[in-house]
Amino acid sequence: MTGGYRQQPGGAGPTTRKDGKRVAGKQAFPPPGSGGSDPVMKPRDLDFIPESVGGKEPQPAGSHIHDRARTGTTVGKEIPLVDSNAKVTGQAWYGDDVRLPNEIIGKILRSPHHYARIKSIDTTRVEALPGVIAVATGEDSPHRFGVLPVTKDEHAMAVEKVRHVGDLVACVAAIDEATAMAALNLFDIEWEILEPVFDPKKGLEDTDEPIHWRGKYHLARTNVQKRVFQEFGDRSLVETPHAESHGKWSMAGVHHGFTEPHAVVAHWDPNGRLQLYTPQQVPHYTHRALSTVLDVPMHQINVIRTFVGGGFGGKSDPFPHEMCAAMLSRKSGRPVRITFDREEVYWINRGRHPSHIEVKMSADEDARISGFDIDALIDGGGFASFGHVTSYYNGVLATAPYELGSFHYTGARVWTNKPASGAMRGHGAVNTRCAVEVGLDEMAETMQVDPIDLRLANLLPPHSRTITGFRITSNGMRQALEQVREGSNWDTKFRQLPLGKGIGIGCGFFISGSGLPIHWDPNRFPHATVHIQVDMDGGVTVHTGAADIGQGSTTAVAQVIAEVLALPIEMIHVRSHESDTSPVDLGSYSSRVTFMNANAAIRAALEIRDKILNAAWEILGYHPDNLVLNDRRIYYKHDPAIGVSYLKALHKAQEDKGSLIASGAYRSPPMGGVHKGAAAGLAPAYSFSSYVAEVDVDVETGIIRCTNVWAAHDCGKALNPLAVKGQIIGSCHMGLGQVLSEQMVYGRTGHLQNANLLDYKIPSVHEMPHVEPIIIESSDPEGPFGAKEAGEGPLLPILPAVVNAVYDAIGIRLRTLPLTPDVVFKGIERAIRKLKIDDPCDLPSPRLEHGPLQAKLVARATEHNVRDRARQRTEDTSPYVNGVLFGFDPNIPLEDQVEGWRTATEPDPEQLAALGLAGRAWLKKEQRQMGGEN
Amino acid sequence: MLMPPFILHHPKTVEEACQIAGQLIDEGEEFDWVAGGTDLLPNYKWHINPKPHVISLANIEGTDILSPTEIGCMARLVDLTSDNDIHPLVAQAASKVASSLIRRNATLGGNLCLDTRCFWYNQGEDWRRSIEWCHKADCGTGADCRVIPNQNTLCVATYQGDIAPSLMVLDAEVHLIGPNGLRTMPLAEFYQLDGMKKNVLEQGEFLLKVTLPEQASQRTGSYQKLRVRDTWDFPEAGVAASWIPGDMETLQLATTALESIPRRHPEEVTQMLSDGWEGMSSIKALASAMQKSVKPVNNTSLPPRYRKSMVRVLTKRAVEGMLE
Repeated sequence: MTGGYRQQPGGAGPTTRKDGKRVAGKQAFPPPGSGGSDPVMKPRDLDFIPESVGGKEPQPAGSHIHDRARTGTTVGKEIPLVDSNAKVTGQAWYGDDVRLPNEIIGKILRSPHHYARIKSIDTTRVEALPGVIAVATGEDSPHRFGVLPVTKDEHAMAVEKVRHVGDLVACVAAIDEATAMAALNLFDIEWEILEPVFDPKKGLEDTDEPIHWRGKYHLARTNVQKRVFQEFGDRSLVETPHAESHGKWSMAGVHHGFTEPHAVVAHWDPNGRLQLYTPQQVPHYTHRALSTVLDVPMHQINVIRTFVGGGFGGKSDPFPHEMCAAMLSRKSGRPVRITFDREEVYWINRGRHPSHIEVKMSADEDARISGFDIDALIDGGGFASFGHVTSYYNGVLATAPYELGSFHYTGARVWTNKPASGAMRGHGAVNTRCAVEVGLDEMAETMQVDPIDLRLANLLPPHSRTITGFRITSNGMRQALEQVREGSNWDTKFRQLPLGKGIGIGCGFFISGSGLPIHWDPNRFPHATVHIQVDMDGGVTVHTGAADIGQGSTTAVAQVIAEVLALPIEMIHVRSHESDTSPVDLGSYSSRVTFMNANAAIRAALEIRDKILNAAWEILGYHPDNLVLNDRRIYYKHDPAIGVSYLKALHKAQEDKGSLIASGAYRSPPMGGVHKGAAAGLAPAYSFSSYVAEVDVDVETGIIRCTNVWAAHDCGKALNPLAVKGQIIGSCHMGLGQVLSEQMVYGRTGHLQNANLLDYKIPSVHEMPHVEPIIIESSDPEGPFGAKEAGEGPLLPILPAVVNAVYDAIGIRLRTLPLTPDVVFKGIERAIRKLKIDDPCDLPSPRLEHGPLQAKLVARATEHNVRDRARQRTEDTSPYVNGVLFGFDPNIPLEDQVEGWRTATEPDPEQLAALGLAGRAWLKKEQRQMGGEN
Repeated sequence: MLMPPFILHHPKTVEEACQIAGQLIDEGEEFDWVAGGTDLLPNYKWHINPKPHVISLANIEGTDILSPTEIGCMARLVDLTSDNDIHPLVAQAASKVASSLIRRNATLGGNLCLDTRCFWYNQGEDWRRSIEWCHKADCGTGADCRVIPNQNTLCVATYQGDIAPSLMVLDAEVHLIGPNGLRTMPLAEFYQLDGMKKNVLEQGEFLLKVTLPEQASQRTGSYQKLRVRDTWDFPEAGVAASWIPGDMETLQLATTALESIPRRHPEEVTQMLSDGWEGMSSIKALASAMQKSVKPVNNTSLPPRYRKSMVRVLTKRAVEGMLE
């Protein structure tokens, strides 16, 4: 191909005459390089192009498969989120901002009883009230739904029973809010009050009227929704421990505390299709549930995700009020809007489970961790929600980042007559992680070693497998620990500060995407799909179902596409609000979006890029391998003067087919074990984090103030460091709330006593410490440009770091969360009584005298450092499984090497008596085993 | 949350306000006074005892006066914290009220007349229905007290204002006005031991201003507030102390957020002084006596036993300055 690209029929001559007028028949194309806000092409930014492809960006963790797609455009640069202008100018449209013509207002009648059977509902008086347009009750839809296909136990409104105060009973739509509220007082309902259960321990016992009934799978007549047993490894290792730690924790439930209360607008359009506007993290689940509940095929429903004013897991269930709005709209033929009060937000809840957690751990004479024994009884409230998964996560997400000799977990989730618990940032991992990390601190103390060195000498390396078979790929745990140690001056502070001042360490480990798409077979359908379309103007329209809930998923998708195509980010337009226009996507949970969607987006963008480069090849005559794709221009590698504008190349590529369209998908690789529950906690990558927190404790009042946090998080590769830092600081704030002041308080009558933001104490700016975010980049081989999650994992370490720092400050181990002043004060009172001193100001501060094991640990950690570096850079590709530290051969199945190596998912009968609190669920039989319902 | 409808009256003078109040009383209509509205309106939104008429004091001239000896009821808390004429102890207490946003609206009068609080009471309507109401907002059911059941004669809701104890230890007087004229009394006598009655204000009366004696400026002191967060939160316990430097006989103490009323503690101080002043050990004895004298109940965020224990610490910290 020679002669370049002819812009117009009739030759490539000028399009304007000397007098400035247009030559007849000639269109003035935009000048080359147009499309961005800056008309001038930017030079290649070598600082953001990896070393492996000739740039200057250092790659300590080695090269990455996506390096060749890097153009130095946006990846790794601090850019504001693409939707931030809309938000800071108040133009973002949240759930309650949607106003459709002719709308009416829906209100929900809520149960005043904890647990009651509805004998009858009479709506006559409601319907007679002038201004009331539609009324619906449980009778309008008998279909069950639930976020997980295995535990569908919710109805749009109570069908037979109400299960907690605030449970939905009926709903009404009226011309205005005042009328709707007045109408709520006119329902005539006959109740039969049932005996409620509030204490999760009671939920393990048989009862006359279990809150739900699972038929032949129901566990005796208890309120146990799910029980889990897992035992892995060599249990003989824990029989003669060198050091031990044993703690029983009581952790209050916490709520997400998002800014925007739930709000929904439903509208049956003139064609009879449902248009539902809702701030959802997972519009697709709502889509499915609506279809079930309303008996309408999915293609007749369009779920429109509004801007989401914070979700944190609390907007990921399909919600009954969404069904209510749709039902009221169907009945009335008018758009119906329902907006929650804060009180209703707490009643729908789905926050972190109130938990009783017991952790026993032991170490051998080499300070290797010979076993974790975890027992977690979690309080699910009235419905299953994500609880099936939470029951697993409370155990299995504690199996890394440390190498374990054995792992034993019993978990149970029970129904109680309280608002349902569900998924919340750090789903299921947070509470156990806190208990485990505090246990390690205690064990380090009994062994007289530094807790950071204890951790450094027991880490799983990169590219290894955990004891339950999770595949660890990149792993920046070691760097994270080293950097917070250095940043905080740990070695000059730990166990050396005066009374009331303390410093503590905590680590975290979290999934980056769930390995199993809940609703389909991953071998048949991909996790995520992204469509890209480039039209003649050069703008790139992206269709994705990724739900931006403020975490920046839209920005991440826009960024990776901008990077691959070397376009300014304002040329990328992400359309992700409507299920009509977006490919099916699982939404924002399990920290999956950046990993999965950005991967799919890269794939689609690469396809477009190939087409454009091939067009440039035709124009320039150089093979794409010799072409450089830079900001809106493609040129010959060895002579930048020979090139073509992006727009010209694009038009060339479009000649045959018009718009360039590409679709990319992400599928997770096959992985994981085959045991029951093996899929829980399975992820294509894992994030690692380590925090050091410094606290001031007022020993007279028990008030804790966290002053400084050094927060290192391994997110693989920070696509946008600004967003990652925001997530780290935000996680710190949220975790501090749980550890210091937030709790859902259930009073002596079982009522939620603090369903408002004054009494539910989210820390204010005054309580916020100085947070030093430290980004660790371990470059995940499968992540988009090496990235992993940064949205949830950073929350985990702050809790144990603070609890351990409090111990360092006052020498008292506290195992009740939150550490409100009265809890701390009680601990101090107990300590001064025990020590027989009068004044808390005379409390001794804990001190550390290194024992003989310390040197051994330091030596081992140094050795492992070399090992990990080689594995991270894939210079060492030998297999590594949990157990190598204990001398096992990674090439032979462990069962064949150790007699008694366990991989059990049910207890042996002789174990039953010794199981912990949650383990008691295993004393019961299922109905089918009892000859009950078959 | 929907504000229940009410008729808002905007008198421009004290006389007009009294006249509107008198007229509403004659008509048998119920009404509330509103100043900054930061306490009343949230309660209205929760449908807690809303009234059909609300009389605003905002437009009444002269009610926002600020001087070393006189503070009008409409003086905004933010001005109390920033005006040099204000006694430092009052400024300190005012600066600890709620958040900076609320202090811009909230007034001294409103703070002194703050409604008592209780977690069985400060809740939405649906919530209160689920506990079948309570004594203070019984919706005509004659419901029992939920804090201390089986006694429905006394409301034990807690007074959680910050400024009253500081004014009390400075010997402030309040001036009340209504259709029946003006009356003046020490602030310490303004409050009445019942969470529902709260204070001596008769129907139609409102708190016009607070005056401080000339010698208040000689006094120094401290206000100690216990709360979980350094903003927004009401006090879980509060102790104010003042004294004339060098003269411990002048020590005065008052507490808030522990009972249905803020109150002074003259007996405990007298006891300490009669035992002879011995510096820190006297302060500790006083602090213990103060702890014993208060009887908090379980209706705020922190448990009553802890709040009672903290009175000792707060007292100690409030009077520690006397040792200097």
